[in-house]
Amino acid sequence: MSPLWTILLILVPLAGALLVIFGGDGKNAYRDALWASIASLVPAVMMLIRFDYTRAAEFQGAASWTWIEQLGLRLSIGTDSIALLLIALTVLLGPVCVLASKTAITKHRRMYYAWLLILQAAMVGVFASRDLLMFYICFEFTLLPMFVLIRMFGSTNRVAASTKFFLYTFTGSIIALAGLVYVVGFAADLNGAWSLDIGVLTAAAAQMSAGQQAMVLGALLAGFAVKVPLFPVHTWLPLAHTEAPTAGSVILAGVLLKLGTYGIYRFAIPMAPAAFTEYAPAIATLSIVGIIYAGLICWIQDDIKKLVAYSSVSHLGFCVLGLAALNAAGLSGSVLYMLSHGLSTGGLFLMIGFMYERYHTRDMRKVSGLASKMPVWAFFMVFFAMASVGLPGLNGFPSELLCLIGAFQADEAWTLAGEPGAAGVTLGPWYAAVAGLGMVIAAMYLLIMVGRICFGPLVEPEGHHAHAVLPDDLNTREIITLLPLAVGCLVFGFFPGLLLDAIHDPVNQTLELVRAGSAAAADTAGAFTQGVRP
Amino acid sequence: MIEKLAIVWPEIILFATTCVVMLTGQWPVCAVRRMTPWLAAVGLIAAIGAAMASPPSDGLYPDLVPYAKSLVGIMGLMILPLLAGTVDRELEAGVARGERFEPLRSNGAEFYAFFLFSLTGLMLVASSDTLIWLFLALELTSLPTYMMVTLSSRSTRAHEAGVKYFFLGALGAAIFLYGFTLLYGATGSVNIPTIAAHFAEHGLGPIGLAGVLISLIGLFFKIAAVPMHFYTPDVYQGAASPVSAMLAFVPKMAGFMAIFMIVGSAGWGPDGTGLPVPVEALLWVVAAMTMTVGNVLALLQSSVKRMMAYSSIAHSGYMLVGVIAGPGGDGASFWRNGLAAVLFYLLCYGVMNLGVFAVLASLERKGQEADDIDDIRGLVRTHPPLGWSMVICCLALLGFPPLLGFIGKVGLITSGITSGHLALVIILAINSAIAALYYLRLVAAVYLEPASDTGFRPSRYGSRQVAALVSAGGVLVLLLMSNRLITAADDASRYAPVAPETAPYAEAGANN
Amino acid sequence: MTTLAYADPSPYLPIFFMILAAIGFAVLNIAGSFILGPKRLGDRKGETYESGMTPIGTARKRFNVRFYLIAMVFLVFDVEIIFLYPWAATYTLLDPGSEQSLVWLGRILFFLFTTVVAYLYGYRKGVFKFD
Repeated sequence: MSPLWTILLILVPLAGALLVIFGGDGKNAYRDALWASIASLVPAVMMLIRFDYTRAAEFQGAASWTWIEQLGLRLSIGTDSIALLLIALTVLLGPVCVLASKTAITKHRRMYYAWLLILQAAMVGVFASRDLLMFYICFEFTLLPMFVLIRMFGSTNRVAASTKFFLYTFTGSIIALAGLVYVVGFAADLNGAWSLDIGVLTAAAAQMSAGQQAMVLGALLAGFAVKVPLFPVHTWLPLAHTEAPTAGSVILAGVLLKLGTYGIYRFAIPMAPAAFTEYAPAIATLSIVGIIYAGLICWIQDDIKKLVAYSSVSHLGFCVLGLAALNAAGLSGSVLYMLSHGLSTGGLFLMIGFMYERYHTRDMRKVSGLASKMPVWAFFMVFFAMASVGLPGLNGFPSELLCLIGAFQADEAWTLAGEPGAAGVTLGPWYAAVAGLGMVIAAMYLLIMVGRICFGPLVEPEGHHAHAVLPDDLNTREIITLLPLAVGCLVFGFFPGLLLDAIHDPVNQTLELVRAGSAAAADTAGAFTQGVRP
Repeated sequence: MIEKLAIVWPEIILFATTCVVMLTGQWPVCAVRRMTPWLAAVGLIAAIGAAMASPPSDGLYPDLVPYAKSLVGIMGLMILPLLAGTVDRELEAGVARGERFEPLRSNGAEFYAFFLFSLTGLMLVASSDTLIWLFLALELTSLPTYMMVTLSSRSTRAHEAGVKYFFLGALGAAIFLYGFTLLYGATGSVNIPTIAAHFAEHGLGPIGLAGVLISLIGLFFKIAAVPMHFYTPDVYQGAASPVSAMLAFVPKMAGFMAIFMIVGSAGWGPDGTGLPVPVEALLWVVAAMTMTVGNVLALLQSSVKRMMAYSSIAHSGYMLVGVIAGPGGDGASFWRNGLAAVLFYLLCYGVMNLGVFAVLASLERKGQEADDIDDIRGLVRTHPPLGWSMVICCLALLGFPPLLGFIGKVGLITSGITSGHLALVIILAINSAIAALYYLRLVAAVYLEPASDTGFRPSRYGSRQVAALVSAGGVLVLLLMSNRLITAADDASRYAPVAPETAPYAEAGANN
Repeated sequence: MTTLAYADPSPYLPIFFMILAAIGFAVLNIAGSFILGPKRLGDRKGETYESGMTPIGTARKRFNVRFYLIAMVFLVFDVEIIFLYPWAATYTLLDPGSEQSLVWLGRILFFLFTTVVAYLYGYRKGVFKFD
């Protein structure tokens, strides 16, 4: 695979952003942004075709240029199959977001679409980068477009929401930077040369002593857990989701949250394998608390958008649980979940957005029985809700199931033949059982929500009158917006094997690292903090 | 000692320029008066040229001279267009109406001369190798700034600021002078390399330690570090924005170079194992306090100038992390080299900070400069170039990747971590996040909020806007050039204490 | 090599006692007069002139700004002379024609140059117009 496609994938949205800014007024902005986001599908498809799936664990399409030599900062790209799939998801959501914003965004359109495209480029940059600092730069840079989108185009409480969003994630990630730099320093002492290459760092980091690993893990989790968000630091998410414009919510749920889980998968686990193994039960417990707690909050929500936002917290809990299981089932389930959650929750946010455009309310008490007036809308609503619940045949089911199986098996006593759990991980049936309760709660609140707003007698908010432009039910543009997500849900649901095959190799490689790392850590003494230098 | 002249050519050139400027600035012919800033610019450019060709000095940091002096010259050139129209406004307006030019009422000559004097002093700090030279250079840097603060504006606030700045500055100077005398008392030499060699051989001892600590506390005034930071907000707010922009850079740079020398004389130990414990403890506590106090108090401000004053305090705290980390041993790369990180960050900070003040200085309402955050609301819509300059500079100050401030901060963080000060780096990280809150307020006010017509218009003095654009452009251009700049900072920070047995001892030092 | 009183505070002991004595003297006098002195307080006693004259206006007076100008000009030349004396006293001791004496000459010429600049500055400023 040629690195050209990856580069195009970053450059095309950026060029699109320039076109949007300098290409005339707001109407052109929508058109230009749409073309740019569709054009960036081409390199993504080329990547998917040209990727050599037999060597899925290798970073293909690698290329690298020196930027700041003294800092070891290189612009270095390359993708394995997991990064590739996440990039594909990002790029897929691009046109969806643009299409969904046509009527919702009426002011400052050039600013809006430009930042949307820049955001897409930054997110692709995160997944594609093989250089630590480039990863970090892209990772942080996603904050600014999202901040502008929420602050400028959000609803009433947007100032507080955007500030909270920025502060939480910025604080976390700058602490993560400290942790990452610590690893770089350790690797430099070990190898006698500065390097920011993620592969080199991962290999060196496993040599750290248990104490050092625990410290690094703490710092990295401070950054990534906020982004996921894991239970005690999740409070920014519901606010940000509720206040963000529809497309913002879709990207936030679809990709930005995945930066956190991707970060844990790509950095926290391989760089601190022993510590992660040691603290896996604690991390799993936090994610389970998140699953149940956020699920219970969803149950009592009247604000639909807030409900879906909290359901994101709950669902991402499964994702982290799968990671904490540290076995093939858990990890692949988790990666699968990263992809499928983007589709189904993204879809739900779109549905809510379409409803909000027509009724200007997100309050469940004010609307009901919309199925009679908007049958197509109601169909998709039920569809995405079912996908979220985990109905077999749709995307939520295989990934959630795999995460739970992973947690269930991640106990040495329960190790199945041919798939040993990682050494020392002590999750087990109890974890899976309690987390499974979360699925039941999810079914409850999502079905209650669907039942209340889609079925029953038709109730519309007082003083409601038809939208000036939009018809009562979804128009063609909106259906086209939803189709890619719906098709994606079906494909994931019926053929999860396709994806599982693709991610099999990298997941196994990570597991190998963890096993080797936790074995090695036991007898490595750290010399770094004591000032011993080569 | 004639060979010492070789390293002070930039200062000599600047001094000669000052002499000329002092006369042309009050020449009765208007065209000659207008030439004054251009003459100053020519002098600064010549000084930069001379600085780049400078041979190594005899100090603890032999190669500091070219980098530091070029930096001073470049920052001087960037501040110069901002100074236009700061003094003599009414006078020149009167002359334009046909009144007679009264030299006694004019301040232009003094203003530009003080500006160049201050930069001369700053350059002298870089080349100093004895305590007496260092003290005189520090005073030459500071004394003109006291007067510039007072001259810069006709408001009583500026006078109050000037007086406050002078008295507290004198206090600071007295404290570090006392420290210097203790250093002399402990070692019998005013020559800094000799002092370093003495300490390396005999250890610090109680008097030497007291000398180092007291000198540092006095120097904290220059960099506006806690507990010597109280003057900062009042002075920055009282002075006109162009002068505040200068105050945020010139004394800070002088202070950091002097701190380098004092801390360097105590030494980071063989192989950079660390400063003497009390010195490190003092710097550690002060760094942590400075960052936190600066950032937390900046949160509470509605005046942008006060906010920038507190942020200037906080940035000093960040840079102290680099001082604690030290040079990181022989031939250490930039990652480990805290001093190089500080030198590079000084450059970044100077440029970024100048941009913010330049934008403030470019906006006027009836001769009054913009100050409150409401004055710049929606600036991107009303005056896009100024607005974007503000956005870029604020984001860079925030340390938002990949802008200049981020690269600088990464240098500080890496040197802090590789020298084993993880806790301090975490404090730095948390403080960066606190800082994000108020910088974001500025960015949001300028970029995202609707404009409210407060009557502020771009200043008649277009060169101020040029300064704003140049610094915003500098943030971006220096980012691309950061490779070379980091190399230069790395070279400049070469720490070369003389071995005790070859040190030029007492007599040689005292006769300088 | 001579190290001045390195880490040995004993030579400073007399100075320390001197400082103690100075502070003690001041404290003793103030305390003594406070304790021993007679105290008669009242409105009359608090006035500026006990004799009964009422002061008119404020005691602060503005000096003509010219005093300051003249004082500054005086300073320029005064400081110059302070430096010239020791220079002249030492210069005769130097080897005539040696490089060192040249350097010394250069130094004083530079110093005089700065004085000339200061003089020119004052002249242009109109300091010497006594009308």
